[in-house]
Amino acid sequence: MAQYSAQTDDELLLRLRNGDEQAFAALYRRRQGAIYRFTLHMSGSPAAAEDITQEVFLALLREDCGYDRERGTLSGYLFGIARKLVLRNLERGRGDVPLEPETDDASPRELAIIDDPLAGLTRHEAIEALRRAVHALPRRYREVVVLCDLEELDYAEAAVALGCPIGTVRSRMHRARALLLDKLNQDRKPRLAVDAWKPMRYAI
Amino acid sequence: MNCQEFWDHLPQRGHDVTEAQAGHVAECAACNTQWKQHRALVDGLRSMAEEWRKVEAPSRMEAGLMAAFRSHSGFQVRRALQRSWWTPVFAWASAAAATIAIAALLVRGYQPPPVPGTVAAPHRAPRPVVQVASVLAPETDSDDDSAVLGEGFVRLPNAPSIGPNEDFNVVRVELPGSAMIEAGISLSEDRAAERVLADVALASDGTPRAVRLVSDGGTY
Repeated sequence: MAQYSAQTDDELLLRLRNGDEQAFAALYRRRQGAIYRFTLHMSGSPAAAEDITQEVFLALLREDCGYDRERGTLSGYLFGIARKLVLRNLERGRGDVPLEPETDDASPRELAIIDDPLAGLTRHEAIEALRRAVHALPRRYREVVVLCDLEELDYAEAAVALGCPIGTVRSRMHRARALLLDKLNQDRKPRLAVDAWKPMRYAI
Repeated sequence: MNCQEFWDHLPQRGHDVTEAQAGHVAECAACNTQWKQHRALVDGLRSMAEEWRKVEAPSRMEAGLMAAFRSHSGFQVRRALQRSWWTPVFAWASAAAATIAIAALLVRGYQPPPVPGTVAAPHRAPRPVVQVASVLAPETDSDDDSAVLGEGFVRLPNAPSIGPNEDFNVVRVELPGSAMIEAGISLSEDRAAERVLADVALASDGTPRAVRLVSDGGTY
């Protein structure tokens, strides 16, 4: 298996297409964690995440799976399939995370001015607070946070996975972080946060 | 640098900012505050990412996917085998050749007189239906092939008997009733023109040795 660890995703894909089971295993072990976590964050259901992750890797076995290395990395492609399957799952109403209304609120954001919304929390508490805040995000913002902040995809890879321009990824990230800060501040110090809000248009 | 430019050009990861961005943060109190929040949030998300990195798909999934992979590969192999067009062609050609040989032997010397005013139907070779069995003849001293081959078999005229421990195949075919009568099978004359199902015993060299009539229900 060591010989496979040095190979790129594309090389492993080529091998598995030629019937190399070990190459498939190596590719799965390399990518399954990120795909599973992404689907878990997006669906909120371990059962759905398991099903979707399995479907993502089964898709690789199809000759007409649609992967084109010219258009992006295999990792971005896998996240893209996972995302589509998650959306299909959510549309069927099987997702455990209630979707919030999808709005493109263009009004100026109000930002809390607490320096560190996680200050004073233990590491475990901070992570739990962040997890709740991430899961409360509308789907389009949650997915960029999960891909770029938690799974550390660069904006280009995330753009492939999401099927949108890099600029859109960047702007959604900015907005998602603002929403996260709002949520964290409201959860921790509701009164203080509300009192401290200032319209962004005045701040900038 | 204004506030918009500061936020638009932040690095995706890390807190390193350019000299110009650092200068803006030093001058703009609002961006300075937001920048501190931003850094705290990114640090928190990084901690969350480290914690979540321990989460992986259940190990049972890998076994299931590997089984699917093997099944998929097996399917491809089976498809490749199915694409070997010559396999069924060869089988059918062999069966057809064998049955033509049987028919030739059975009808040898028997040509019904043509009926005046009628046109003889074109000859059709017996059509093999299915191979019934491959059998090893038991060792016996009897000259009776029925005892060797099974109930109902009659040795064909001029055909050598099946030897002890000799391999032979039984092939089910359609034959003219007249040929069965000629071979000594008990069949009424009014069925001479019909095609009837018969089991033919073929020796290992492909020559027919014995025949029996199969009843209309398809069993002997």
